[in-house]
Amino acid sequence: MTAIFKREFLSYFRSPVGYVAIALFSFLSGFIFYSQFAVGTVDIASEVITLRSFFVVIVPIITMGLLSEDKKRGTDILYYTTPVNLFNVVAGKVLAAFALYAIMFINVIIHIIVTVNCGGVFGVGAMGTIIVFFFMAFMYIAIGLFASAITDSQIVSAIVAFVIIIITQLLGTIGDYIGSAFTSILSGINSGFAQSVGNGISKAINWLDPFLKTQDFRLGIFSVSSLIYLVSVGILFLYLTFRVLDKKRWSQN
Amino acid sequence: MIEINNLVKSYGDKKAVKGISFTVNDGEVLGFLGPNGAGKTTTMNIITGYLSSTSGSVKVNGHDILEEPELAKKEIGYLPENPPLYTDMTVKEYLNFICDLKGVAKEKRKNQLENIVAMVKISDVYDRLIGNLSKGYKQRVGIAQALVGNPSILILDEPTVGLDPNQIIEIRRLIKALSRNHSVIISSHILSEIQEIADRVVIINRGKIAAIDTISDLSKRLSGQSKLLLTFRGPVKDAITKIRTVKGVSSAVSRVVDSKFSQIELTIGASDTTETRVGIFNLMAREGWPILELRSLDPSLEEVFLSITSGKGGAKS
Repeated sequence: MTAIFKREFLSYFRSPVGYVAIALFSFLSGFIFYSQFAVGTVDIASEVITLRSFFVVIVPIITMGLLSEDKKRGTDILYYTTPVNLFNVVAGKVLAAFALYAIMFINVIIHIIVTVNCGGVFGVGAMGTIIVFFFMAFMYIAIGLFASAITDSQIVSAIVAFVIIIITQLLGTIGDYIGSAFTSILSGINSGFAQSVGNGISKAINWLDPFLKTQDFRLGIFSVSSLIYLVSVGILFLYLTFRVLDKKRWSQN
Repeated sequence: MIEINNLVKSYGDKKAVKGISFTVNDGEVLGFLGPNGAGKTTTMNIITGYLSSTSGSVKVNGHDILEEPELAKKEIGYLPENPPLYTDMTVKEYLNFICDLKGVAKEKRKNQLENIVAMVKISDVYDRLIGNLSKGYKQRVGIAQALVGNPSILILDEPTVGLDPNQIIEIRRLIKALSRNHSVIISSHILSEIQEIADRVVIINRGKIAAIDTISDLSKRLSGQSKLLLTFRGPVKDAITKIRTVKGVSSAVSRVVDSKFSQIELTIGASDTTETRVGIFNLMAREGWPILELRSLDPSLEEVFLSITSGKGGAKS
């Protein structure tokens, strides 16, 4: 696992990918921080939450090549023909992407230091938001890794990751649409019943929205169930990635 | 030692490998010969654990590749058709990464890498990026990769494809040197290449074994079909009838006739080439027909298949 981690992490800096991702994150976070700083009200939690919407670009950049490049170069054969375990391959790659992400996050830490030194507030809400933000990054990186496993093209992998991530970010809107659609279909039967079914469905889909999982933390509540949700989705995608890699060996076509 | 037992690999309803069995003994160089698409790479991929067989078993030094994959894979060094190289790493970084993957202990690593680098002669490119190396060097780095971890068995899939003649000779020399301490399976679609390196040869065609034979037996079997190519100046009809009387000649067919220079090219079927060549030379000298070219034609892989499958020899195992 450490071998894969080391190779993948260093390879971010052998190509422009690592630098591009870090520069992009620095620019975005710096811009958000600056625009808050200029008006004199800095809120680290809101900076971090705004950054969340840029996952849709940043995560595909750092995950698109993780497995697809191996397939293209033919180096994936090493994972199957050396005594290394496929599970360790997946784990090493996730950790490498996560480490790059942690390096990007140094920007936010600098902003915190600046804020505190200038007499600003870095409260429990902001701390909680940062914690949940890391869990969310893990989940999105797992999704990106899965997208990278199913193709040998970086572009296709980036697009698939982009689409999946954007769907998760729009879950709130999607849930409202589907709920109101059910309401209008069923309203012929019984309007009260239709209303409750529609609301139920909206609520159920909204529950899946990762963004809502951050709300409690912002208020200073440490919501373990939210973290469990994010970790579970991440692990589900890592498992799928592992299955995709393992399946290749048994493939019949 | 590798024991391969009744290996089958099917893709949908198409069978790429249809029941292959053979063994590779310790210290042996086994040539794996077949035309493109015969199932060579598929078989090698199954032996190394890259693919799983539909049925059948592979045992590497007693370890089943599916039941004890980690132990089995430790015994094998594999050079696939496209060497698995990270072009963004230097040779040094790459070989260290392979050491990590194969779990070579830190204290043994330096010594082992030094030996390998000296053996495959890549010390002068050791600190260069793999992406900038020539094809010949890339192939050597691929072989170095297979040697990491001191496996007892080397599996090389068409190691000389795409190299220039000098590089081919060097790689062959290297493989010969390696065969002193390793069992080697080497695949190729070129008969002469296998004849030069291997002790024994497995010939496969369309996913089935066509023959398993030692090199000397194979050459003996093939010498019956030897052919000569003769180009000379002289009259066609007269020459053909006279050549047929030379001892050892079984047939003579004219291939090209250039009437302008009264130049004739003949394909001659002969049982014993050296003796026949002397006979032909004597005949030409007596008649005063100048020989422009006289050489033996190597049997092509297709002819080998024909001769092996035409019943006479038959598959021997």
